[in-house]
Amino acid sequence: MLSRVAESLFWMSRYFERAENTARFLDVNFNLLLDLNRITHVENPSYWVALILVTSDKERFNSLYNEYSAHSVTDYLVFNKDNPNSITSCISLARENARSIIESISSEMWEQVNNLYHYLQSINPQFVHNNPYGFYKEIKNASHLFQGITDNTFSHNEGWDFIQIAKYLERTDNIARLIDVKYHMLLSEAQSQPEIVEGSEDIIQWMAVLKSCSALEAFRKVYLSKIDPDNILRFLILDRTFPRSINFSVCAAEDALWRISGSSRHRYVNNADRLIGKLEAELSYTAIEDIFSRGLHHYLEDLEQRLVKVGEQVHLTYFAYHTPEIESPDIAEALPFTGIGGGRANWSQAQQHQQQQ
Amino acid sequence: MSRFFERYEAEASRFFDEVISKDGTPRAHYDKLLHRFGQFSIDDIKARREIVNIFFRNQGITFTVYGEDEGVERIFPFDLIPRVVPAHEWQSIEKGLIQRITALNAFLHDIYHTQKILKDKIIPPELILGSQHFIREFVGVNPPLGIYIHVTGSDIIRDKEGDYMVLEDNLRTPSGVSYMLQNRQAMKRAFPVLFDKYKIRPIDNYPQELLRTLQEISPNTRREPNVVVLTPGIYNSAYFEHSFLARQMGIELTEGKDLVVNNNKVYTRTTRGLERVDVIYRRVDDAFIDPLVFRPESKLGVAGLVNAYRKGNVTLANAIGTGVADDKVIYSFVPAIIKYYLGEDPILKNVPTWLASNPSDLKYILENLGSLVVKAANESGGYGMLVGPESTIEQQEKFAEMIVANPRNYIAQPTISLSRHPSFSNDSDLYGCHIDLRPYVLYGKTVTIVPGGLTRVALKRGSLVVNSSQGGGSKDTWVVDE
Repeated sequence: MLSRVAESLFWMSRYFERAENTARFLDVNFNLLLDLNRITHVENPSYWVALILVTSDKERFNSLYNEYSAHSVTDYLVFNKDNPNSITSCISLARENARSIIESISSEMWEQVNNLYHYLQSINPQFVHNNPYGFYKEIKNASHLFQGITDNTFSHNEGWDFIQIAKYLERTDNIARLIDVKYHMLLSEAQSQPEIVEGSEDIIQWMAVLKSCSALEAFRKVYLSKIDPDNILRFLILDRTFPRSINFSVCAAEDALWRISGSSRHRYVNNADRLIGKLEAELSYTAIEDIFSRGLHHYLEDLEQRLVKVGEQVHLTYFAYHTPEIESPDIAEALPFTGIGGGRANWSQAQQHQQQQ
Repeated sequence: MSRFFERYEAEASRFFDEVISKDGTPRAHYDKLLHRFGQFSIDDIKARREIVNIFFRNQGITFTVYGEDEGVERIFPFDLIPRVVPAHEWQSIEKGLIQRITALNAFLHDIYHTQKILKDKIIPPELILGSQHFIREFVGVNPPLGIYIHVTGSDIIRDKEGDYMVLEDNLRTPSGVSYMLQNRQAMKRAFPVLFDKYKIRPIDNYPQELLRTLQEISPNTRREPNVVVLTPGIYNSAYFEHSFLARQMGIELTEGKDLVVNNNKVYTRTTRGLERVDVIYRRVDDAFIDPLVFRPESKLGVAGLVNAYRKGNVTLANAIGTGVADDKVIYSFVPAIIKYYLGEDPILKNVPTWLASNPSDLKYILENLGSLVVKAANESGGYGMLVGPESTIEQQEKFAEMIVANPRNYIAQPTISLSRHPSFSNDSDLYGCHIDLRPYVLYGKTVTIVPGGLTRVALKRGSLVVNSSQGGGSKDTWVVDE
């Protein structure tokens, strides 16, 4: 498969997943604030700043808006074209990538990306404000539909595996960020307002975290009604069967990477396989107590760093246009890779406008 | 005459009408079509229009108009009434094209080798050697089978008498063949009964014929040739066609950055390392194809590609430097070229052409700007053109200045009344539109032409410009056995 085609499949998938995750964060935050109206109100900035922290975009946000509010954060995360991670930007980039490989993907996949793109072009902020639930549901469903279409109309070979790697790396990263930010917030609240963290509001907030991963029902089946932070973290980080847990997603990314290269346990053939294998093995033998003894924040930060490195190695091995080879870990881990916005958006448009006979 | 055509005005005294003859009666090969359309109400037609529109939209059959902002992709306008070409007329077009392309190929081979035709003073050497499309780097190179022009799309028009004549030879990267194929698919869906009434020669084998042609020119005969399409990218107006052809042939669609040259061999960059490429069906112009030889700022090409080609490690289709033979100045010499290389009289006529580089012609052109069509020798797609009768005095004066400043770059032709065909645009009105015909000629071990081609229609009432970039549309073209 052409490296460019593989790279476009990867970014198409990754941007689509990113859009879905952003829709999930926003959706749950609205719901949460409605539940918490005893102690706060929908415009409480501290609940909106968290969404900006999740995407590590505080600086860019502050350069564009004066305040953290339902309106400004929604605008930034859904519509803003200067934010490469807004839902609109992500779907535009997913479509741009799909368009450049239109002969490689199934026409049903193209239609689905294209439909969502045109849907987003037709939506205005007032519509989202009036019916946030309906709008975010639309985005999530569109993403699920895209994945279903992909699974059922696109050959499960190398190209499909690149789609899976992108999807699960992106998902893992998003879950980690979400947990990190929520934990951070609850912790600071515990210091300033102990009664909140002790009380039912704490549980409601943790339930919101589960909901944003569509994990509440699955969690209840495992832990029944025992909603406490330890169990929730155990579930979201270490559960091996729930598709929006970190462990599951890392395993799925590992499977896809190994299918491409033919790697297996104890026998890796490139650095991407080695790094993902190491991560998966560690997760498999980690207990939640290990994570706490290291400090949750440190643990998640380290995890995010390692995901970036896996992404770098996928890039170097398959997209960077040289013969794959195993490099020494020192060199391999030094190269920068932004993983955001890059993709395939920068084209030399003018030159492509050659006159046609 | 069917009721559907009752209100149609052929104006057969002013133009050659494809359907209605001078005496006002329909031509025999249109009988069945008129009869069938006669059975349709306007609503029937609208229903069929909808079928066609849905087909095109779902296929994403779009083209790009430059100079407009967002929403650059537009559906190619399609005219529901097909053009019917009887087999005996097609036979002479086919023979004429084979003759013309064979001679032009011999001409290209000659000027990139011994240049005998220049030494024999058939063509003034400065016209060739001074042409921006004459590529010195390519002199003495021997492309496989001696073929330069593997895919061509000559534009054919009919004059007032209905004689077929060639208006332009497009020997570089002619586009539009995907529309020819898709138009046929759309028509089959919308008018199945009508199809049954004619013996229409099929065209669906074009992608296979194209692939076969490309495989035949592989420099490497020992293994299955690896053929790829090279596109400028998704912002090119013909990108749909590039991806369509790649998909139909089952080969990779590549961009410049997918290819790399190492030790004068060309490879694709894949997830499994480098893979050798034998033949490139390139839809990138010469000027952009290799930044080391042509425009250094080009991001669309492949550094080192020309050298790999010269070494005989890869074949480009079409070859480099073919533009020197479809220059509008050289066009006027094509009858002489046919005579010189083949010793035959041309089967297809040329449009009379005055060269601004020739002093007596220049005088004539400047005196008759209001009635002539002036064209820049190296432009295509309907750009850089002055249509005398439709121009203002200022436009004429501007062109006069440009012509005097650079006479080599301009030619003039009489305003030809292109033949007209009843057309059905989006309003429910039938009217005559000017048309031309672009058949696609494939040149491998043999010359192959799928019967028909793309009939382009100047859908704007009265307009003579059929190019899609200038608001033209197209219709299906049926070569029928009687």
